[in-house]
Amino acid sequence: MQDFDAIVVGSGITGGWAAKELTEAGLKVLMLERGREIRHQQDYETETKAPWELPFRGLGDSALYQREFPVQALNRHFTEWTQNHFVNDHENPYATAAGSAFNWYRSYQLGGRSLTWGRQCYRWSDYDFGANKRDGIGTDWPVRYADLAPWYDKVESFIGVSGAHEGLAQLPDGRFQPPMALSIVEQAVRERIAARWPDRCLTIGRTANLTEAKPDEGRAPCQYRNICNRGCSFGAYFSTQSSTLPAAQSTGRLTLITDAVVERVDHDPKTGRVTGVRWLDTKTKQRRSATSRIVFLNAGAFNSVHLLLNSASEAMPGGLANSSGVLGTHIMDHANTLSAIALMPGFEAHTTFGNRPTGVVIPRFRNLETLDGNGFTRGYSFQGGALQSAWTRGKRAAGLGAELKQELHRPGPWRMVLVAFAESLPRATNRLSLHKSATDANGLPQLEIAFEHGAQERAALADAKAEAAAMLTAAGGNVVMGLDQPGPGGTAIHEMGGARMGWDAKTSVLNRFSQAHDVPNLFVTDGAQMSSSACQNPSLTYMALTARACDHAVGLLKAGTI
Amino acid sequence: MDTGVGNGLKRRDFLQGAALLGLVLGLPVTTPALAADAIPTGRQLRVLDRVSDIVIPQTGTPGALATGVPAFVVLALAHGLGGTGVPVAASESALRPFLRADGTLRHLDWLEATLDQAAGSDFLRLAPLEQVRILTGIDNAAFPPGPPLAVPSPWASLKGLILTGYYTSQAGAAQELRYELVPGRWDPDVPLKAGDSAWSNDWTAVEFG
Repeated sequence: MQDFDAIVVGSGITGGWAAKELTEAGLKVLMLERGREIRHQQDYETETKAPWELPFRGLGDSALYQREFPVQALNRHFTEWTQNHFVNDHENPYATAAGSAFNWYRSYQLGGRSLTWGRQCYRWSDYDFGANKRDGIGTDWPVRYADLAPWYDKVESFIGVSGAHEGLAQLPDGRFQPPMALSIVEQAVRERIAARWPDRCLTIGRTANLTEAKPDEGRAPCQYRNICNRGCSFGAYFSTQSSTLPAAQSTGRLTLITDAVVERVDHDPKTGRVTGVRWLDTKTKQRRSATSRIVFLNAGAFNSVHLLLNSASEAMPGGLANSSGVLGTHIMDHANTLSAIALMPGFEAHTTFGNRPTGVVIPRFRNLETLDGNGFTRGYSFQGGALQSAWTRGKRAAGLGAELKQELHRPGPWRMVLVAFAESLPRATNRLSLHKSATDANGLPQLEIAFEHGAQERAALADAKAEAAAMLTAAGGNVVMGLDQPGPGGTAIHEMGGARMGWDAKTSVLNRFSQAHDVPNLFVTDGAQMSSSACQNPSLTYMALTARACDHAVGLLKAGTI
Repeated sequence: MDTGVGNGLKRRDFLQGAALLGLVLGLPVTTPALAADAIPTGRQLRVLDRVSDIVIPQTGTPGALATGVPAFVVLALAHGLGGTGVPVAASESALRPFLRADGTLRHLDWLEATLDQAAGSDFLRLAPLEQVRILTGIDNAAFPPGPPLAVPSPWASLKGLILTGYYTSQAGAAQELRYELVPGRWDPDVPLKAGDSAWSNDWTAVEFG
């Protein structure tokens, strides 16, 4: 008799979903989280702080950041308000291979990166699920849009996604709450782009911020503060704490343990099944274990792979569920850069009120029916928005005294920003492995990341720079700068892959239900399962795949086949 | 505006809760201690006071002095805020006398010497308008028309910290500008009237400048 029906490793965006779905299906579930507990509405310590209530006025202690958070501090979401929601790099080292640059942004805490995510929710289409098959790069996805559509419906309805219906084949509409409005500048840019390019659509971001309350779940609508990453006591954005965790806990079947770093998944070579997991209690330094009928890995793409590699055994010397030898390979991010900033004259008499917690999106328009990319076969899309310069513009210009004060008293000129996310191709050489000698604080081998962007991604970003400038110019803007080189790997914070899905057990780790080909009671439903990256933000797809995998796992348990 | 429903948190409750929390904790902002070599001389502090006052004087609202900007700048320099903790390129020979062993700049040493040099004597003994004239020259040289300088003037960092100190102070953020923790709604098009001030809590705009 096992301790639990299911063990879920990780409590972030997908771990919370797995816990909710499995407990609601009647299973007794243990969810393990490596980081500390953060309680909804009680532990968002900086949520209401004004800048003058913080020692470093929101900028944070640069000297401390340089010593202990040198990677996390490179992320624009990392501030004095949010530093408690990111890992200490010094205490959580990783290695990069020679020639690789990878900024790995992490949140080790209850809720994981669901507390700090960008909340953008985009369905993938068959342009995405069919991409690997179409150009022969990577392995064919064993799922298509029709398989996922009902699961997207379920996830969107529960987490609450606001957005506008646009009828686009490349970015299917979902079950949306009413959209947040475009600002007057963005509305004008939308109309001017559509007039010139009928196939290009600027639309409001589809964001997991509520525009209507969800009273059954105790969630209030967005208050337009745009300080989500501090934690939101209104529960107005989707996080594990605001949404999936209370649902799972209300079943009475969830056991949650925090400060528990899972070191190993146990595998019984006689049955070919996993039997449970072992973890280190970081508070007591005790090692503990539990058994279960199924195991879900939701530790975050790279950490789930790390755990599989660390779970190698005599029967599986290359890592758990790695008979194919592809475990750790074909990792991706998005190639991400600031394509254009333009001044937008003509709106000087207009301003806005409130802080909208989402920007706009211009969905992919390249390589749809026709392969029209110059040097690239996949897609890219833009996110961004219009904004009026704030007092910080005073740091860039000459001026002193009463005159400067008067100038900064007013909102500054309108500007429009477009940031490109280009599809990252799945390559065998971009991979995770165990470092041969370096270990982490708990004595486990460090994860080593080998990652480089390729010629296709660079060609896509070059096109994105040109097209962003063309669109903003056509919209009446004066482009002041733009970039076409991607930031280091990890910049988009969309790292994924490493335990890819595929039709064939010889060339992939997981089957079409996120279930290990080699181990029928082991599921990996976070970003590790991805076979390609598309150019959309991936979290919504992870959630839909998780809900679908849970349904499948429960069916197999009930049928007695696992 | 009451936007909460059901057992979701109401905006009014939330604000009351936040205020109560502040009362219960009653914690003043603690100022971290300075390392010995980060403590400025008395004269440097007088120079910084005067310079901060020139950049943001008292007008109809408090200025840099009343809002404690010089103390913030000292703290910020001690912790390397605003890029001031990054080593300076060794080729910048004009800055060499002001560098620490690790290559970082002693900004207040530089400021004091640069002002005195431009004054041809003791900057602090000049008439106020003369002081403004000298700082204006340094400011204009740091931000020439056209593309920014390949190697930024240390004044750019110091001015940035003075502005940060002021516009993130309570008076700067909430009296000179407007501050609203919980806007509660989003209006995508509002007429901008004469005299309307900007929002210091427009976080995206603050971040992007």
